[in-house]
This record gives sequence, structure tokens and C-alpha cells, in this order.
Amino acid sequence: MDITVAGYGIICAIGNDATAVLASLKAGRTGIGPMRYLQSSHKELPVGEVKLSNAEMLRMLGQDESAIVSRTALMGAIAIRQALQHAHLDTKGKRIVVINGTTVGGMDVTERFLRQMREDDGLLPLLEKHDCGSSTRQMADLAGLGDAEVCTVSTACSSAVNAIILGSEMLKAGEADVVIAGGTEALSRFHLNGFNSLMILDKEPCRPFDRNRAGLNLGEGAAYVVLTHSLVKSEELRVKNKSNNLECEDNSDSSLFTLNSSLYICGYGNRCDAFHQTASSEDGEGAYLAMCDALQMAGLRPADIHYINAHGTGTPNNDASESAAIRRVFGQKIPPVSSTKGFTGHTTSACGAIETVISILALQHQFLPVNLGWKEQDEACIRPYDNSILLNSTFKDSSLKAVLCNSFGFGGNDSALVIGSLPRPSQEEEQPMERHRACTLAEAVVTDTEQLSELREFVTAGEARRMSRLMKAATLSSMQALRKAGVECPDAIITATAYGMLETSAKFLTDMLENGEETLSPTLFMQSTHNTLSSAIAIRLRCHGYNMTYSQGSDSLRWALRDATRLIETGRARTVLVGLHDEATPSFQDFCRRLGKPVPPMLFSRSVVLGRSTCDESVYHV
Amino acid sequence: MEQLIKDLKLQIKEVLNLEELSLEDFDTDAPLFGDEGIGLDSIDVLEIIVLLEKEYGIRLANPKEGKAIFKSVRTIAEYVQQNRKK
Repeated sequence: MDITVAGYGIICAIGNDATAVLASLKAGRTGIGPMRYLQSSHKELPVGEVKLSNAEMLRMLGQDESAIVSRTALMGAIAIRQALQHAHLDTKGKRIVVINGTTVGGMDVTERFLRQMREDDGLLPLLEKHDCGSSTRQMADLAGLGDAEVCTVSTACSSAVNAIILGSEMLKAGEADVVIAGGTEALSRFHLNGFNSLMILDKEPCRPFDRNRAGLNLGEGAAYVVLTHSLVKSEELRVKNKSNNLECEDNSDSSLFTLNSSLYICGYGNRCDAFHQTASSEDGEGAYLAMCDALQMAGLRPADIHYINAHGTGTPNNDASESAAIRRVFGQKIPPVSSTKGFTGHTTSACGAIETVISILALQHQFLPVNLGWKEQDEACIRPYDNSILLNSTFKDSSLKAVLCNSFGFGGNDSALVIGSLPRPSQEEEQPMERHRACTLAEAVVTDTEQLSELREFVTAGEARRMSRLMKAATLSSMQALRKAGVECPDAIITATAYGMLETSAKFLTDMLENGEETLSPTLFMQSTHNTLSSAIAIRLRCHGYNMTYSQGSDSLRWALRDATRLIETGRARTVLVGLHDEATPSFQDFCRRLGKPVPPMLFSRSVVLGRSTCDESVYHV
Repeated sequence: MEQLIKDLKLQIKEVLNLEELSLEDFDTDAPLFGDEGIGLDSIDVLEIIVLLEKEYGIRLANPKEGKAIFKSVRTIAEYVQQNRKK
């Protein structure tokens, strides 16, 4: 079954819509520059900001300009509206699902108002839009999709590609008719300082794959694709008697964007490098496996790929590791590769979707985006496609047909997509897969900090010294559940968390607000992303399999179990470790009390090992 | 110098959460990194860089500069003595 791209929307540093983005890409014009909208003391750091104020974005969405809304939700809503307009589907009576990749969620608002919220009840409701799930809900509402089901995927910088993967899986499983998948992330002082504490930000414009590269530049933006089952389905859905042109800018040459030829999500892979929380392995194992999976699903050989849109952040470690992985997959015959982060900056959770849309533009308009900033060959890196080869080269005979798009995140959450203008080559007829049933093999629960002493059975003092409370609880419940189930290394690891690493994030944030943006702890930041738990468990178990994190409020576990069940039923995993891990802090509990919300427990960690059922009993009920 | 070494040991122990390492066992000349000595890693380097800035006003822009400085507690102490701003 083919997954068709019916439309797309994009907003980032190089343009507020697809027309502008295409023009910038073709002109080799970067969007990275001095900080203008973000209120940080690190003015020395160049960033790729969306060139709109919050008030301007609110106006574009027909909202009150003085409203306080996160840029994450605003940019996301703008890009979704564009994508829906572009797709022009008749969605009446259809099951629509919005799948969003984000990590910082409403952090840009929280960091501005947290101190006042401690006193001011009037501002407190802003905190209700902070977590990823609420941020996604708000974005969907602003985009006019109040009735749509929403889900947030949070695997750090690969979030958006994993959102597209989940959307494709749901369509294949018949769980949705139309999926809007992608990601959004606003610049925040929180993650700017976090990346700065890891010393991986370049004070110059970034230089992916260059010998003298010295880090990344952060960016912001949002992009979404509208996905449907297959060509036939999307043609049926398409609104009749109306032009299906992009209508976001009056001056746009809309004929350029009409999806007169079909585009497909041909294949994908989600793997874990299982190496280190903030570094990639030397041989790029996770990236290698993700690319291989994507090619295999697409039914393509490496030689069939005409362009690679690399993750290419510009850090010494990522680019060398990714190059090693690309060399392993493609050998001597590496197709043109470029990182477009020299245009957009590293848009973290949104980058997978922004680069998917850039890849789609390349396919539609038959050009190769250049790798801005590259000057000198590094032995450890591939030679990217750059200005000195040929700017704006155009494929005369429409030979650009398949693109591989890489997206990697902290903790080694590595994913890859193959996007193509041809449907999957019709190989052997797809065999109806043997269906399995999922059941619970074992589970373990940790709710008390006193239980954490049991961790010593599994973890040395040296390993534990850096682990936060929730990390300890999640590791303990996971190891206990796996032991009970007699499973050494599960085929997949999936985490559900409403608030993620609350304690470490709150410490980092409070330190930043009280002591300024200079001496912040990298250890706290590297344990702030939601996917820290799943990836740390994968690192412990050396588990290179599927690795996923859901953060959709109280629905998080339901999404995680749905995913796990799908993996087992379709035979792609025999065992899946699913965890629900959440924590609170005293001040967070106080906020909840003041808001009249249920007060969450200080610590809750429940791990379940799912496996194939051998009988009809004990089927896991969601 | 002896006092500075003692302070540094306490600060490093606290910021890196080295609970099991007693000050008596914390050898001033033991290699901080690698399997032979204390066994610290690249994230610890970043934490020590933050520590030096916070406590002694020393700013290291590039973690690579730290390689020679962070060999042992003694080399750190020598560097701090020469470069401290507070």
C-alpha cells in the first residue's frame, strides 16, 4: 500500500510558505542571522528565526494580536493551514489525525512568565499549554482542526520524521483516513542555553560536513504533510471543480506547486544508535540501520536514491558519524548529499518535516538544494553537494525520482524516510501478514523513591551518579519487568510520558531564570528531552530496534500501547517494552492545586513487556 | 595550593555526584579520564568547565583546550592558580 502526499505546508527561516522557501533554496539564500525575536543574552549566537513576530502570526491566524500563545503552536497552525489548503481534500466525515513532533512545546511562553506565575493566578493558565500534548492540541485548534484526534511524538530532533512514520503506519493499518503529520519547534532560551552548555553551537554560520565545522546554529519553524492511503484515495478525496492550488500568498506562482504528479512516502526506518545520550557512534550504526530499513521498505537499492537530504547539523560528531553511515550504505557510489541546515538552522523537533518538504520541493522542481557553508573537504566526511559543483542545477529529464531524508535525535533516535515520485515497485504481491495477538508478559511498577535503592542490582554507582530520579525509576521498572518476562533485549522500546523529565527540566529552567544564561549544567539539559528515558534504556540494553516516545497528556499510554500492539500484530516485533513514566516537583504540584487540577504523584513508573499471545487469554486491554 | 586542591576535589565530587569516591581515595595525580583513573567522560569535562567559570571566573571556550588542563586534579589546580579571576 502506498502512502500519498496530498499537500504540504512550511514556515521557517528561509520563508513563510513553500513559494518563499523554494525561492531561497534556489537562490542559495540563508535565513540564519543575528537574533531578533528571541530574548536571550547570547546575542553572539546566530539563529534561524522565522521572520514574523508573535503578533503578526496571530493576525495571520485571525486571532487577537495581544493573546499570549507559544510560537510553537502559532507556527504549527500556520503550516497546517497551508498544508490543508494545498491538499484541498474533502475531509467531511473522514477520520483526521494530527500527528505532531515537538519537544519544547510551550517553553517559550513558560520561560517568559514562570516567575510571575508563582504569584499571579491570572497568568497561571498559560502553564496548561506548556506540555507537548497541550501545545499540540492548541495548535490543532488554531488550525481549525478542533475535532481532529491529536498525538505528539517527542524523540528530540527526529520527532517530525517519526510523526510522519506513525502517520503512515496508522493509514496502513486503517486507523485514519487523512493524517496531517510533521513538527513544530520555536526557539527558546531553554534549549538555546542547553545546546550552548553542551558546547555544540557555532558562533559563525554553520558549516555542515566542512573540515572546520564547529557546531550548529539553532533555528525554528514548522512543516506538515497531508497523507492519505493511496493515489486513488487521494483523488477521491480531492475537492472537485476547484483548482488545487496553493493559496497562501497572492503573488505566488501557484501552478508551480500543484501536485500534478504524485508523491509517496515510499519507505522509512526508525532505529536507535544505543550508544550515548548526546553523541553518535563512530560507525553510525543507528543511522545505518534506519537508512537500510527505509530502502528495504521502499523496495529500492542504494543506486535508486538520487539525492540525500542529510541530518548534517554541523557538529564535528554528527557529520562524521552520519558520513560513516552513508558510506556503509552507499559504498563508492554516493548520490548528491546536502544538509539544508545552512539555510534553516537546526530546527530540532521540526527539522524532519521541514527537510521532508524541502525534499518534496526538490522532487517536484527537479533541483538539488546546496550545502551552504561547505568549503573544505574533511577526510572523515562525505563531500556534500555545494555551490562549487553547480548552483541550481536542473534535471532535464526528470531524473530526480527518489530522495532519502535523514533525521537523528539525542539518545540516538535515528530515523530515515524515502520520498519518491514513483509508487513502490510492484514486487511480489504483498502477502497478507500473519496476524499475532499481543499480550502482557510481565510488568513492574515503581512509585516510591525508597524503591530506587533496588536499582543497585542493575546499575553501578558510577552509572547511577548522573541519573535523575525519573530516570532511575524508569530504568528500575524496565529492568524488573524485562527480568520477570525473561526478555534480555526487547525488539522495540516505547515510552509514554505526559510531562517528561520534569525535575531536571525545572532545575535547569529555574537556574537559568535566577542565575542567568552563563553557567548552566549540561547534565541537566541532556536529561531534559522526553526521549531520554527510551534511549537510555536502549543504551543500557544495546537495543538498536524501534524506539519511540509519546507525550500526549493522559492519552500518552494509550498511544504507546496502540503502537506496541501494532508492532506485535503485524509481526515486526516479538517483544516490546512499554513504559509510562512521569514525575512531579513540589512547585508543579502547587501549580496544579492552584489551577484546581488533579495533583500528580511525585513519582510513577510502570513498565510492561508485551509479547505474542499463545492463547486467547491475557490479551492486553488498552 | 594544598587548600585549592582540597577545594577542587570537594567541588568536583559534588558537581559530578561522585558519591562513592572518598576524598582519601581521590588521588591528586590520578588521571581523571579513561579507564585507569577516576573514569570521567566528555559530559564531565563540560561540567568541570562550568565549575571553573562559576567558582573561579575562568572561561574555556573550547572543550578541546581542556585536554591538557583536565589531566588530573593537580593540573587543574595549577591552571586555576594561574588564571583565576576570583
